[in-house]
Amino acid sequence: MTQLLRRVLLSDYFVLGLSLLYVAAVAPFTPGFVSAENFTNILSALLPLLVVALGQTIVLITGGIDLSVTAVIGLSSIVGAMAMNHETGWLAQSPIAAPAGVMIMLLVGASVGALNGIAVAIARMPAFMVTLASMMGFSGLAVWLTHAKTINALPSGFTMLGGHTMITLAIVLVVGICVHVFLRRSLWGRWLYAVGHNSRASHISGVPVGGITFFAYVASGLLAAMASVLYTGQTETGSPVLGQNILLDVIGATVIGGTSLFGGKGKVVWTLFGVLFLKLVDNSLNLLNLSIFAITIAKGAVILLAAYLDSLRNRFVAA
Amino acid sequence: MKYKFIGILIALTMFATGCGKSGKSKDGLTIGVAFETLQTEYWVAGFDAIRTDLEKRGYTMLQAISNGDPNRQLDQVKNFITRKVDGIILVPKDAKSCLPIIKAANEANIPIVLFNRPADKSDAHSVAVVADNFTLTRETVSYLIDQAKKTGNKLQAAILIGDLGDINAVKRRDGFDAAIQGHEDLIDVVARIPTEWNQEKAQAGVVNALQANPDIGFIFTSSDFLLPSIVSALKSAGKYHKIGEPGHVLLGGFDGDATAWKMLKDGYLDATGVQDVYFEAAQSVQAILDLRAGKTVPDLILDPGFVIHQGNLDEKSKQMWGAQMAAKK
Amino acid sequence: MNAALQFEGIDKSFGNVPVLRDVSFTVGAGRTLGLVGENGAGKSTLMNILGGNLRSDAGKMVLEDRPYEPAHPKDASRAGVAFIHQELNLFTNLSIAENLFVTGLPRTAGFLINRHSLHQRAAKLLEQVGLDLRPETKVENLSLGERQLVEIARALSFDARLIIFDEPTTSLSVRETEVLFSLMARLHDRGISMIYISHILEHVRRRCDDIVILRDGQVVGEGEAIEFSTARLVSLMVGREMNQLYPTRKKAAASTPALEVERVNEPGIVRDISFTLHHGEVLGIAGLMGAGRSELARILFGLDRYSSGEIRANGKPLIRSGPRQRIKHGMAFLTEDRRHEGLCLDASIADNLMLVALRDYTRSPLRLVQSGRCRQSIDRLREEVLLSPRAHDKQPAKTLSGGNQQKVVLAKWLLARPSVLILDEPTRGVDVGAKFELYRIILELADAGTAVLVISSEIEELTGICDRILVMSQGKVHAELNRDKFDRERLLAAALPREART
Repeated sequence: MTQLLRRVLLSDYFVLGLSLLYVAAVAPFTPGFVSAENFTNILSALLPLLVVALGQTIVLITGGIDLSVTAVIGLSSIVGAMAMNHETGWLAQSPIAAPAGVMIMLLVGASVGALNGIAVAIARMPAFMVTLASMMGFSGLAVWLTHAKTINALPSGFTMLGGHTMITLAIVLVVGICVHVFLRRSLWGRWLYAVGHNSRASHISGVPVGGITFFAYVASGLLAAMASVLYTGQTETGSPVLGQNILLDVIGATVIGGTSLFGGKGKVVWTLFGVLFLKLVDNSLNLLNLSIFAITIAKGAVILLAAYLDSLRNRFVAA
Repeated sequence: MKYKFIGILIALTMFATGCGKSGKSKDGLTIGVAFETLQTEYWVAGFDAIRTDLEKRGYTMLQAISNGDPNRQLDQVKNFITRKVDGIILVPKDAKSCLPIIKAANEANIPIVLFNRPADKSDAHSVAVVADNFTLTRETVSYLIDQAKKTGNKLQAAILIGDLGDINAVKRRDGFDAAIQGHEDLIDVVARIPTEWNQEKAQAGVVNALQANPDIGFIFTSSDFLLPSIVSALKSAGKYHKIGEPGHVLLGGFDGDATAWKMLKDGYLDATGVQDVYFEAAQSVQAILDLRAGKTVPDLILDPGFVIHQGNLDEKSKQMWGAQMAAKK
Repeated sequence: MNAALQFEGIDKSFGNVPVLRDVSFTVGAGRTLGLVGENGAGKSTLMNILGGNLRSDAGKMVLEDRPYEPAHPKDASRAGVAFIHQELNLFTNLSIAENLFVTGLPRTAGFLINRHSLHQRAAKLLEQVGLDLRPETKVENLSLGERQLVEIARALSFDARLIIFDEPTTSLSVRETEVLFSLMARLHDRGISMIYISHILEHVRRRCDDIVILRDGQVVGEGEAIEFSTARLVSLMVGREMNQLYPTRKKAAASTPALEVERVNEPGIVRDISFTLHHGEVLGIAGLMGAGRSELARILFGLDRYSSGEIRANGKPLIRSGPRQRIKHGMAFLTEDRRHEGLCLDASIADNLMLVALRDYTRSPLRLVQSGRCRQSIDRLREEVLLSPRAHDKQPAKTLSGGNQQKVVLAKWLLARPSVLILDEPTRGVDVGAKFELYRIILELADAGTAVLVISSEIEELTGICDRILVMSQGKVHAELNRDKFDRERLLAAALPREART
């Protein structure tokens, strides 16, 4: 019996199973939950969140945390829109507006990530404080750039990246596979785990701990900017406050998936299932016509439950 | 390992496209109401008014609040569409990011009405119900000018202007200017205070204006939610007096919230232009019904609103949402 | 002989695996009994039964002529049985006094803690264990030895009459060990019975009245301590004749220098250290705790700074700091702190084994890890160091015994084929069987031409495996002895600080 429980709890597919159970449990009460349209809705809501959460997974594996992802999403959204829009953009009407705009947005994300990385890896400041400060600073900068105004009239070649679910799916698939191969198979991916498990032992064993840590924050910034491309495309509007409410979703989904806040543990599929589970809960509560406050409370409870399951799993590993 | 990942995403999409559709069991109409925020009294009042109106008609209301997140609002409206609502009433975050939302509703052939915040011009089609900001402001300010005439003195005046990115703020400023035009002999506008809809900025602006022009005797604010800032600035300058008392500064506002109601009742506020939330709610629902019936509906439905002042206080208080909110508390 | 505690026919199995079989022996009243055996012999299981963490399948225990069946650790402490563990169970952020009474803080008015009476009672207990510290001192400011004394004071606070010491000296310096032993002697004089568990057989023979040897869950020998020689204890524990404790060298050291250290200085840490380590040589560094041995090793491996001097590996001067450059020059460093600096405890055995050399197991341009080659190397390494075959590659390293953990750390360095191997306390917390396997591996490496630098607090170990020993004291090398001059007394004398020697 405990053997079975142990296998279930420790399985990679535990959260997927939980998601399917959840679907089965709430479907009878939730009108429209099990329908093609609704699953497409869930998919389109899940994809950009998955991209941010993958960046968060990379940072969590090293034992850090990146609270600045929401600021990156807002800042790169507004900077990208300033560059690309038809009316006042530097790239207005240019044939390369869309690809150049995406590059600019990714650059913004990578730069914020690099600043976080320098502060954490080289100045050895605590990740929580560094990224909290950069969240505040860069979301302030984003709002200041346009005095809180939004910008639209973006090139359609850009907005379809996030606005067309199938294109978004293709992009996220490629990103997901790259991150997966990186984590499981590449030298730097393996080192990421080692640093998260024990940075002192890794340093003594010749692992470039500082470089790896720096890289993790750059990757997280880059992926947050990638998510910003998708989110901005969805609403066809560059907004400095884009994504400012999703921090709980990002960290919550990653942890629900099984990535540890203490470092050394995390997988792409885990995070995928975590995001799926969170979005299923979110979507079904929405369909049940609950108020936003009730949904937030329910999501908090789900994340707490996930934290409990995580500690349960750790106990099973230790036993 | 990587095949697992692909497999799961593919399975998810197949699941998504292969499932059956669900039906709906209600006889009456179902209306989805999506608000960007419920964090100011005005939106709470609007939300309640719509709910009451729908209940009266025996309709079902689905609700969704997006807390300022347009992506979330898009998800929520898609959920409405999934649940096959018969119409959507929307308060968007801003005039631009709501366009994909309106397009999604258009594609699903579901009528969508924007409550109090119109969208930018585009090929997406929606109906907006908004207060007639220009006319209502002009009327409110005209009432104040009449009161000023009674004093017989030439008055220095100040106006608090909202965020000029917001079309409502622009219309209210224009209404103010139109009312003043032709009365320059009586009213001298010495301060135009930009607030960007921010209470701290409003307060600092009024304090500065009062320092530069201590004789200001006429203040109009483009929204009632800035009244507390004006009151505190007036108090610290020793200029906060009841109507009829010597030194009273003529005060006018816009919206008709609970603070304005209290100040009217206590005799400090001369007049405010009230957005008729109940009218707007009823018009929004009616517009959906008309659209469903295939009637032509104008893109913009104006709520004329009304001016409430010391002379019509009792008569109009039932229609003033701020008074109703105050009574509920 | 009066009995403090009797085990009578204790049986215990986990699943189908018998762990204890018909274990019977007696702890005499007021006597100290040494319990020895390899890891997995059943010592911890037996102690867990005694402490109320586990129930035996059959048999009984009698504590001072009364049947004793603890269902919970609380029952054990109520009955006067106290445990002093290897991993100390103190709250480091609390004061000594708070730790002493953490389960029953003296209170006034129901819930307020009465600090005055707390400190008075604590001071009395600290005096009994000879600890001259104020009761309000925070435990985090205490050395490991002092913390252990606090644990003993806690045992005395609830009138323990049987105290079990489980590997108490593992993390103690020589001096702290002596303090502990003299306290044990005082407790002995007060008539308190003790069970002493240790891998250091010299300590067991010196400190105990009686010895019981466990092997594979059975008592394979018992008697008074004076009846046993170390060699006999070892052969009983291991189950075969160990006529030679240390393997023999097959080859002599070469004369080519592998590591040259010239006048290395760091104020307050090391002074004027110069020596040459040759290929194929095993060089020991002896000294007391705090003599600067581990600090020197850290400097040699580029982990800490030094202000002057030169270090050359295989003839090339080491200029930049940091372990990566040292590894490139063929150096390897097994640190004394296995848990924090040696292993990634939660990571798998395989990941730990590959950590140092992983860079060489990748294919450009994406630097993807070649898992096939990794698997081959892991299998070869496991055979080389005789890692327990029961352990699975994907199992977390923390599930291994101390000896197997140390083999994993050693193996990960071997994969990089080092020419200079620095070992800091390589056999700390390792049981006897694994110790000899480690010695065999070290000497085979030396035979194959690796230069080995061994730091150890166990003089027997150094004299057993080294070709040459340097003795450090107060940051300086005070003596250098060749194998033919090895002598326990001389080594100890050289290790003592200057002032103490006169």
